[in-house]
Amino acid sequence: MDLSTDFMGMHLKNPLILSSGPLSGSGEMMMQALDAGFAAVVTETILNDIRPNVRPRLVKSGEGLQNIWLYTELTLEDWKREIAMVKEADGTLIANILAYSPSEMAFLARKVEGFGADAIELGISSPHGEGIEVIAANYDEMYELVQSVVDSVSIPVIVKLSSNVTNLSLVAQSAQKAGAQGLSAINTVRSILGVNLENQEPLLPTYGGYSGEPIRPIGLAAVATIKQSVELPVSGIGGIVDYTHLLEYIMLGAETCQLHTALLLHGYHIVPKILDSTRRWLEDHSFKNLGDVRGAALPKLKAFDELIYEPRIVRVKHDCPCEDCEQCISTCFYNAITKDKEGKIIVLPEKCNGCGLCISICPEDCFEMVLPIE
Amino acid sequence: MANIRKVAQLAGVSVATVSRVLNHPERVSEKTKNRVLSIMEDIDFSPNALARGLNLRRTNTIALIIPDIQNPLYTEIARGVESIAHRNGNNLLLCNTEKDVAKEKSYVQMLIEKKIDGVILAYTGLKDEDFQEIINKEINLILCGMNSASMKISSVYSDFRQGSALAVQHLIKLGYKRIACITGSDRYIENREKVQGYIETMERAALEVPPHYLVHGDDDINSGYLSALKLQKIEQKPEAVFVCNDLMAIGAINAMQKAGFNVPEDIGVVGYDNIVMGSFIDPKLTTVSWPVYKMGILSARILLDEVNSKSEDVYTQSILLKPKLKIRKSCGHIDRVSEIFD
Repeated sequence: MDLSTDFMGMHLKNPLILSSGPLSGSGEMMMQALDAGFAAVVTETILNDIRPNVRPRLVKSGEGLQNIWLYTELTLEDWKREIAMVKEADGTLIANILAYSPSEMAFLARKVEGFGADAIELGISSPHGEGIEVIAANYDEMYELVQSVVDSVSIPVIVKLSSNVTNLSLVAQSAQKAGAQGLSAINTVRSILGVNLENQEPLLPTYGGYSGEPIRPIGLAAVATIKQSVELPVSGIGGIVDYTHLLEYIMLGAETCQLHTALLLHGYHIVPKILDSTRRWLEDHSFKNLGDVRGAALPKLKAFDELIYEPRIVRVKHDCPCEDCEQCISTCFYNAITKDKEGKIIVLPEKCNGCGLCISICPEDCFEMVLPIE
Repeated sequence: MANIRKVAQLAGVSVATVSRVLNHPERVSEKTKNRVLSIMEDIDFSPNALARGLNLRRTNTIALIIPDIQNPLYTEIARGVESIAHRNGNNLLLCNTEKDVAKEKSYVQMLIEKKIDGVILAYTGLKDEDFQEIINKEINLILCGMNSASMKISSVYSDFRQGSALAVQHLIKLGYKRIACITGSDRYIENREKVQGYIETMERAALEVPPHYLVHGDDDINSGYLSALKLQKIEQKPEAVFVCNDLMAIGAINAMQKAGFNVPEDIGVVGYDNIVMGSFIDPKLTTVSWPVYKMGILSARILLDEVNSKSEDVYTQSILLKPKLKIRKSCGHIDRVSEIFD
């Protein structure tokens, strides 16, 4: 099963790309990612000047991670060597760069192009360390930054976007108009992971970026919004841990996907697992390649006024094997679920309003939705 | 062709190991290091040969000319230039003009005689004809702090009109109407631009600028102190003051506090430059930050690129670095989230 993907003219052996972050902080680390099976790597964000990172800067809760990591601590001169290492090994490398004026951004872009980068990703959407509004939220500023880079280099330019904006569709359109050849979304989401009750301190001492599984729904919505707004190829980012997540992004139109947090939390062994399981799923469903399912879910996203309002209600599909679970009873806020005299779970049709919550709550898949006449 | 991959293959190690031998030899065993180095020698692999150009005419020395070695701003530029020069194996000559154009010209003559590879003029008092003389001697030239649109000279500069507009707009947004300005020495274009930005922003907001609201300082702490004393004597005292550099702002705050005025309660103050000292005074200084260190870095990078390029590959680069408002306490701003993010 061929998972190869064309992304902005780059032929990738599969759709998985290591996103920009601590694991792409050196040539050696990026080589490790390529060895694990990634088709390409995105460097840690490269700037003209170094901003030192604080310690600690990562904290985890559940499957979510907050970071207050800023950018690379290697100089631009160091990156010449790190990028060369990946290129010497024929790796595909996207250089993530950040600058604050169009001419400075163009300078950096020309530099990394000279170092051998295959593409550039503009890292202009970090939720921390920059303004309260991410740079990419300002359409005009972003337009100028993107245009100056596009005019200065001959390799493809990707703009990394954030969900921390009011109108992502306009942001994407502005990037396209400025000449970007691709988009990636989403960057981490501004967050405070928690507060230590004992010393009354936030877990990390400033606002940070949230990543990992909990942000996947936000990433999926962002990718869908972008794909329904512009024609550009998209690299979906956010919360990918297994093959189902990869396929979700692809079905919403993503050409490629990037991941990072799952590697920090689970290690590189998940990469071949994701790729093998994706291949198997496609084979089991008689698809020839990812192109067969790419964007398949997009047309099924409707406007509210296109939805059909059917008076469907829930009914019990099969008897519940659990004796004491009763999650459905306690969560049904219409009081439509109860037990009959024999202790069997039943739905009172006259009370059920068809919200559907019990279907996803029930661990035993006991419920289904039907029209009352069925 | 000899490359890092070939070395790795012949030495039976990974590319990463070869890279470590070059960059972090302390992390590689002596045995592996020697094997890799001997293979490099065998196949004539020299990682830096191309980068350095090996031009025998080179002196591997560049120069930076600054107006005032006591001003932390220029030492930041020097720090940036030095870091890149050193990293690329170049020596740096630092020349301090004390804002004296004649001295600056004599330095340029000395550098020409020394046949240095390139020179960075920071906030220069020289003119186009002086630049031309340097270029005629085939010495690479970068202007740091100004953009010479009329000549094809690469430059790294900031927009001071925009920077002072950010400061004054911020004061206006906070509700101040009577806003004075302590200017720097008007011999320097950046100071003239800051004043221009102040006046334009006040006019756009339909706010008056009476002549006595423009007090002329001379860029140092003392002149800031004296300028603030002058402002205190004005009958209709200003509610806020935009000071064209942080050193003067620190002097001005000191004078106001000594005279019994509270900053920002009685008078709001915004400076310019974002020098380190500004965040250590009480109240912490709100200021306009512009990336001076980065200007040094970029000036040196462009200069060395030009020195190392074949002449036909050199193209003029003008890099504008944007100023940014750094909100702290001296302006009277209270919402904390702006301090964190802006």
